[in-house]
Amino acid sequence: MVDSLSLKPEAAAPAPAPAVKRGRGRPQPSLRSRREAWAAHLFLVPWFIGLFLITIGPIVASFYLSFTDYSLLEEAKWVGLDNYVKLFTEDPRFWTSLKVTAIYVVVSVPLQLAFALALALLLDRGLRGLSFYRSIYYLPSLLGGSVAIAILWRKIFGANGLINAILGVFGIEGTSYVNDPDTALSTLILLHVWTFGAPMVIFLAGLRQIPSSYYEAASIDGAGTVQQFKAITLPLLTPIIFFNLVLEIIKSFQSFTQSFIVSNGTGGPTDSTLFYTLYLYTKGFKDYEMGYASALAWVLVVIIAGLTGINFLASKYWVFYGDSK
Amino acid sequence: MRSLKTVAALAVAALTLTACGSGGGDGEAADGKVKLRFSYWGADSRQKLTEQAIALFEKKNPDIDVVGEFSDWASYYESLATKVAANDAPDVMTLEIRGLSEYAGRGALADLSGKVNTADLDQGVLPSGQVEGKQYALPTGVNVFAMLANKATIEKAGEKMPDDATWTWDDYIELSSKISKGGGGSVYGTEYTFNPAYLTIFAAQRGEQFYNNGKIGITPETLKAWWANFDKLIKTKGSPDAAKMAEVAAAGQEQSLIATNTGGFGMWWTNQLGAMTKSSGQELTLLRLPKLPDAQKSGLFLQPAMHWTISSKTEHPAEAQKFVDFLLNDPEAGAILLSDRGLPINSKVLAAIKDKLPPADQQTLTFIDSIKGDLDQVVVPPKGGGKMEDIIRRYSEAVTSGQQSPDEAATQLLADANAAIAG
Repeated sequence: MVDSLSLKPEAAAPAPAPAVKRGRGRPQPSLRSRREAWAAHLFLVPWFIGLFLITIGPIVASFYLSFTDYSLLEEAKWVGLDNYVKLFTEDPRFWTSLKVTAIYVVVSVPLQLAFALALALLLDRGLRGLSFYRSIYYLPSLLGGSVAIAILWRKIFGANGLINAILGVFGIEGTSYVNDPDTALSTLILLHVWTFGAPMVIFLAGLRQIPSSYYEAASIDGAGTVQQFKAITLPLLTPIIFFNLVLEIIKSFQSFTQSFIVSNGTGGPTDSTLFYTLYLYTKGFKDYEMGYASALAWVLVVIIAGLTGINFLASKYWVFYGDSK
Repeated sequence: MRSLKTVAALAVAALTLTACGSGGGDGEAADGKVKLRFSYWGADSRQKLTEQAIALFEKKNPDIDVVGEFSDWASYYESLATKVAANDAPDVMTLEIRGLSEYAGRGALADLSGKVNTADLDQGVLPSGQVEGKQYALPTGVNVFAMLANKATIEKAGEKMPDDATWTWDDYIELSSKISKGGGGSVYGTEYTFNPAYLTIFAAQRGEQFYNNGKIGITPETLKAWWANFDKLIKTKGSPDAAKMAEVAAAGQEQSLIATNTGGFGMWWTNQLGAMTKSSGQELTLLRLPKLPDAQKSGLFLQPAMHWTISSKTEHPAEAQKFVDFLLNDPEAGAILLSDRGLPINSKVLAAIKDKLPPADQQTLTFIDSIKGDLDQVVVPPKGGGKMEDIIRRYSEAVTSGQQSPDEAATQLLADANAAIAG
């Protein structure tokens, strides 16, 4: 491939015009590069507006609001740490939502990654029509977070859904899985696992990076497939696994749509699918407790940051980068 | 360093510009007309009716321009609360009784006492728009929470329609289970609901008020007796099991058992009769809810379908009052809106449009007349009352699906409910 990123020489080289030295001895940029800098800044302005207006502004505001009692209908009242204290000491639904989300993350992320890796290995065996399969398997990742799929999920796992139709053939009478507190969360976990396409594509790219000479050498030494996988593929793939793990943990902690649609916005039945973000949303927009919801949001930030930090620390012990010892 | 400053300056400039763009321009339109913003929710059919009524109002008041702000129910309160928070509240807002205290108690609504003519309105319903003695809201119309019966389904199962003047909860449960049996597996006797109105009525029959002096007035015993109704229905197969029922409930009125002719009974608001009759293609009958054997009263009440309210921050109170007055008192407006927002409570309007009402509403009118002597006063839920529906549903689901014992659930429900209205 042609390296399209290489700069044209005149843009990279210092300007030929003699630089007039001023007091501080800093070379004065040429008129042209100054103009270019201006243009660059000008083009960046829309992005900055977006960043300040819809990202940084609300983040700062929500941090402030998390220390207030804010009903949306009235001015926010400063209450100090009250929201945080209440959250940890007298809100059982906070703990429920945390538990539900934790189960969801702990079960669905490893399952999803294992599934993605297995399929990537399969596709990596020089299958014909690889790009076709890759696209097909990637599709659920694009669709998985959508409202349409969540509705479809309701239908599939409903009392008269596809699953029960299949079970019915064998004479088994099923229930409504999305409405049974014992199974509702499992259907959401399944939905998450089904969106294995994104990590799979990344795994595939990672597999392609492993030099085939390693495998050739190994098979000459008489290593079988399993041994090759354990001794070559897995260690060399750990950076990719790590990357996927971090990404998916963060993503699944923030899941909202699935639970919102499948439970009809209630987190039910009996809070069995009450994701953290859904609880946050309910507090803010249904119960008029925006200050409390902001506190919930900041606790989530701390949790995710903490987990990511732990992940990075732990990675020292299991992630193998080829260039380090 | 300098380049960063430039960028910051540009960003600030851009922010100021956008801020200018959204500010100003409120109130007076370019053509000198007063602009009134009016927010409401609903389906497309309601939007059409409302736009017609607005057009009529503008014809009668050429100096006022009413802009309808319409959204679906699911996102209505989110967008309304956001607008109020941004100091951008619509002049006239539609609210329902659950949200009334939230808005009135926080100073978002104007007191309408003496501002809008209420002489011809049903005086018994007016308190449903009062918070702390002030008339913050005026009911658009009324509904009753009633039992709908699908006669065809019931008779097909070999059973007879009950006598709703005398039937008890146990009669209802027994009949439901018989219908399920007689229907041969394709039909359920009834569907059930955790609607707070059901609990309110049931508690009233036991002499308890839902809200009593800023506390929940329902006892754990009443809750347990109420849950026993569901339990019996599920056990005798008079209704679907908890999971299946949750699915039916989530699917909405058109997919309900009674509207799909797969159920004999169901509790709904009277204004849903028309749509459900249409879905089922059968004649549906309004019945009184069953009673406890020793009940002193039916516990039924006239529930305002919605309320008209005016923002306390409006710049055009006179025009806003005129518009609300028009919606409530003008027979021509009534002739357009009919019973879309509940049966009108203005006796003159009602008399003028009576013959134009569709059969379902005629039936509702007769029904309301027949129970008129046995109605409770509706109570405006206090601040936090909007959470009741969620709380009741959550614990009721836990009980019906066997996740929690009724004893434990009753204690926790009351604790949660009391905490919700404590502030």
